[in-house]
Amino acid sequence: MRRAAVALSLVVMVGLALIIPGAFAQQDPIKIGVIQPLSGSVAASGNYIRMGAEIARDWINGRGGVLGRQVQLLIEDNKSDPKEAATAAEKLIVKDKVPVIVGAWGSSMTLAAMPKLEEYGVPMVVETSSAASITKRGNPWVFRISPPSEMEALGLERYLKDLGVKKADFLAVNTDWGRGAVGAFGDILKKSGANVGLAEFMEQAATDMNAQITKVKAGNADTLFITTAVEQITLVLRQAQEQRLTRKIVTTGGSSAPSQLIKQAGPAAEGTYHILFFLPWFPEAMPDGKLAKAFVDEWNKRGHPFDGLTEGFRGHDGVLTAVEALKTAGKPDPKAVRDALWKVQLMGLNGPIKFEKDGPAGKESGQSKPSIFLVQIKDGKIALPAFAKK
Amino acid sequence: MRRSGSRIVVAASLVAAATAPAWVWNPYHLHTLIMAGIFAVLALSLNLLLGYTGQLSLGHAAFFGIGAYASGLLTVKLEWSPWIGLVVAIALPALAGWVIGRLALKIRGAYFVLLTISFAGVVSLVSVNWMELTNGPLGLPGVPPLELALPWLGEVSLRTKSAYYYVVVAAVALCYLVCLGLVRSRVGRALVALRENETLAESVGINVTHYLVLATVVSAAMAGLGGGLYAHYTRFVSPEVFLFTYTVTMVIMVVAGGKGTLAGPVLGAVLFTALPEVLRAATSWQWQMLLYGVLLVIVLFFLPQGIVPAVQRRR
Amino acid sequence: MLGATYSLLGIGLTLVFGLMNVVNFAHGEFYTLGAYATFAALVLGSVNFFLAIPIAIVVGAAAGALCDRVLLRPLRGASIDTVMLVMIGVWIAMQNAELLGWGGVAKNIPTPLPTQPLTAGPVSVAPLRLFVFVVSGLLILGAHLVLAKTKLGRAMRATFQDRETAALMGVSIDRIHTITFAFGAGLAAAAGALLGPVFLLYPSMGDLASLKAFSVVILGGLGNFAGAALGGLVLGIAEELGAGYISSGYRDAVGFIIIVVVLLLRPAGLFARAERVG
Repeated sequence: MRRAAVALSLVVMVGLALIIPGAFAQQDPIKIGVIQPLSGSVAASGNYIRMGAEIARDWINGRGGVLGRQVQLLIEDNKSDPKEAATAAEKLIVKDKVPVIVGAWGSSMTLAAMPKLEEYGVPMVVETSSAASITKRGNPWVFRISPPSEMEALGLERYLKDLGVKKADFLAVNTDWGRGAVGAFGDILKKSGANVGLAEFMEQAATDMNAQITKVKAGNADTLFITTAVEQITLVLRQAQEQRLTRKIVTTGGSSAPSQLIKQAGPAAEGTYHILFFLPWFPEAMPDGKLAKAFVDEWNKRGHPFDGLTEGFRGHDGVLTAVEALKTAGKPDPKAVRDALWKVQLMGLNGPIKFEKDGPAGKESGQSKPSIFLVQIKDGKIALPAFAKK
Repeated sequence: MRRSGSRIVVAASLVAAATAPAWVWNPYHLHTLIMAGIFAVLALSLNLLLGYTGQLSLGHAAFFGIGAYASGLLTVKLEWSPWIGLVVAIALPALAGWVIGRLALKIRGAYFVLLTISFAGVVSLVSVNWMELTNGPLGLPGVPPLELALPWLGEVSLRTKSAYYYVVVAAVALCYLVCLGLVRSRVGRALVALRENETLAESVGINVTHYLVLATVVSAAMAGLGGGLYAHYTRFVSPEVFLFTYTVTMVIMVVAGGKGTLAGPVLGAVLFTALPEVLRAATSWQWQMLLYGVLLVIVLFFLPQGIVPAVQRRR
Repeated sequence: MLGATYSLLGIGLTLVFGLMNVVNFAHGEFYTLGAYATFAALVLGSVNFFLAIPIAIVVGAAAGALCDRVLLRPLRGASIDTVMLVMIGVWIAMQNAELLGWGGVAKNIPTPLPTQPLTAGPVSVAPLRLFVFVVSGLLILGAHLVLAKTKLGRAMRATFQDRETAALMGVSIDRIHTITFAFGAGLAAAAGALLGPVFLLYPSMGDLASLKAFSVVILGGLGNFAGAALGGLVLGIAEELGAGYISSGYRDAVGFIIIVVVLLLRPAGLFARAERVG
C-alpha cells in the first residue's frame, strides 16, 4: 500500500514533467534565458530583476515582439548557488536552445556559468555582477551592462570633494562584491588624496554588526562606506544609531533601495548618501526621462514594491539589450546574436548601453559604461544633493 | 529465480551506465549524470561512516571542499598537472580526516555530528577570509580540465562531456570497489560490530579507535576525490563548495537510498540529482524546492530504512 | 543582550533532543514562523505589539504540535538519522513555503518602543534590546518553573530520565512528546517574535538561528536545560568579544571553535555538573 503510494507520486511527477513543456507548443516564440537567485539568501533582488525583465518582455511583445515573433522568458532559479547557476545555464542552452541568456546576478554565479557559455558558444548579458574578473578572463561570450566596482568608484570620484571625505572606513559584506568594492573605492580615495582607515567585513547572513561598528567608532575617520544588500544596510544603520556613531555614510553598489531604508531604518537613515544606477523618484532626471517614467508607472500598476525599482531596472535593461541584439542579428542564432551585441546601441533605463572591448586581446568581453548617480536621504525623503544635480 | 532477477537488473544498469554517452544524446542529461556520479562518490564516502560505523559526519562538505580547493589551487596558482592535483585532492582531506578521527577518539553520536559541523564551519570561514591563499569569496575561476597524455595518441583532452563521464564513472567504480573491499574484510566486520555495540566490540579485542580513524580517513579521501572531480568539471571553485546544503544533499542520498548498503548511496545519488532537474522541468521555480522537501519527507515517511533495503526485504 | 534569545532557542532544541531523541533541523523554521506570525498579527491583523508576541508563541506551539502528531509520532521507532532527515525535509519545505507565502523581500516589524538609546554613563542601550532581554529572561524563568514545579514538568522530567518507568507510572509518552515538541517550537517562535523587530524578516532567517541554537546546545550539553540557558549567554558574549578583538570575518568562527574545544575537553558540555532538565 505505502510503496504503491510512493510509486504513484513518482509517476505523477514524471507525468507532469512530460506534459507541461508541451503546453507551450503554439506559435514558436523566441526564447531568452534568465538566470536569477529566486530563492535563498538574496531572493529579493533576484525577484525584482525578474519583475523588471517581465515588464520589458510584455512591452516588447505589445509592440509586436522581435523578428515577427513573441518573446518568451525562460526563468531559472540559481538558488544563490554557483553549481546551480552552471546547471541552469546548461539546461537553458542545451534543452531549451536559447540563443541568449540574461544573468546571473552574483559574481560567483556568473563566473560559474561562464565556462558553459564558452563550451556551447552562447552569449550572456550580465546585468548585476560587479567583479572585475568577469570581463578580464577572456570569455568572448560575456557582455556586461552593470558597472564593475572600479567603474563605480570612478563615477564617485567627481563628488568626493563635495562630500568632504578626508578619511574613510569601509564596512562590507564578505563576498567578491564587498571585497571588490573596498579595493576599488580605496584606490580612488587614495588617488584623490584622502586616507583609508579600517576595512571591516560581515558575513552575508550576519544580523548583528555591533562589534564592527564599535571598531569603526573607535577610529577617527569622517566617512563610512557600506557595501552590502539593503537588509544588512538597514541593520547597520539602526545599530550605528544605537551606538551613536556619527559619520557621513555612503552606500555603494546600487542595491541600497533608499526608500526601503527610510521605512525600515527611519531616522537612522537620515543624511546618508547612496550610489544608485536608477532613480525612480526622479524619472525625469534619468537619461531617458520618458522611458523611466513609463517603467515606474508600469511597475506601480503591477503592484510591485516600489523599493524594488532600483534593482528591477536591471532586468528590463538586460532583456532590452538581448532583444535589440536579436533584432540586429536577424535570427535567433547564438553566434549571430553575439556578433550583434557588439553593434548594440540603445537607451536603457540606466542610460546609453554600448559595449566596449575589455580583457585579453583576441577574446575580449563586452563592457558597457553605465551611468552612476548619487542621492541623499534628507528630512525622510530622497533628494538629489545640490552638487549632484545635472 | 529472484536472485538471478536482481542480477539481471544490476547487469542491465551496469551496461546502461557504461554505454550512456552513446544513447544520452542530450548533453544536459549527460551533465546531470556526471553530477550524479560525483555525488555518488560523495554519498559512498559518507555512507562508509554513517552506514557502517554509525557515526554521522555533517561536515562532509569540508572534505569535499578541501579536495576541490587543493586541486584548484595547485593547478591554477602553481600550474601543476591536474592529475597531481587530484592526488593531492585525495591526500589532503585524508590527512584532515585522520586529524578529525584522532580528535574524535572519545566522541560519539550527536557529539561527533557537532564536531564535524564545527570543523566544516571553520574551514569554510578560512576559505572566505584567507584571501592570499584562496582568493576569498572571489573564488578560483579557470581551473584547467583534465588531460590524458597517451604515448600513441598524444594529448587527449577529457574536456568533452562523454570523456569526463567515463572519468567519473571510473571514480564511482573505484570507490565502490574500495568500499566493497573494506566492508567484506575484517575491517568491515569490525566497523559493524562497533556500530552495533561498541563496548562488546572492545571487549572481544577490536581496537575501536584504530578502525574508526581508518574509516574516517578513507571516507575523507573519497570525498576529496569527489571535490577534485568537481573542480575540474565545473572549472570554478568558490567558498560555496562548503555550503551546508552540499552535506545535506549527501545525507539525503545516503539515508533515502539506504544507509549501510553499497547500492543505496549510488541509487540515492542518481535519484536525488535527477529530482531537482525533473522538478525544474515540471513546475515553475516557486514550487521546486518546496516540492523537493515534501517529497523527501514522503519518501522517508514510507520507507524509513531507505529505498534499497525496502526492495531487498521484499525479496 | 542577544544571548538571552540564543538561550530561548537553545532550550527548545535541547528539550526536544533530550526527551525525544530528535535532532530538530527545522528548529530555525519555528523561529521564522514566530517572526512572521508577529508580523502578520501586527501589520495585517493590526493587533497591539505586546499582544502579537503571545500570539506568535501560540502559533509556533500549535505548528510544533501538528508536526509531532503528523510526522514524528508515526516515526517514533525509526532511527535517529531517518527522523533527522525528515526534519531536514520539513526545514526545506517550510522555508520555501515561507518564500512562496511572503516573498523574498525583507519585512520590518514596527515597534512602539522609542529608537533613541538609553544611556547610563558610558553604556548606551536601545530600549528595544532591553525589552527583548527582559522578556527572554522572563520566558526562560517561566519555562524553568513549568518544568520544575508543575505536574506536567514532573512527567516530562520523568520521561527524560527513564521512559519505560514513566510509562509504567501512567505517563502518556505520546502526549508528553507532543507537548515537549510544541514547547520547544513555542520557545523558538518566541525568540523569532522578539528578534524580528530587532532585525528584519526574510525566509532564510531561520538558518542562522538554527546554527546558533546548535552551538548553544552543545555548549550547555545535549538535553541540559540550565546548560542551554547559560550557554546562550556565553555564546552571545563570546561572539561580541571575539569580533572586537579578532578579525570580524572570523566572528562566526568563535562559536565553532568554542564547540570544538568544549567537545574535546568536556564532551558532556560546559555545565555538565548542573542539574539536568529543570
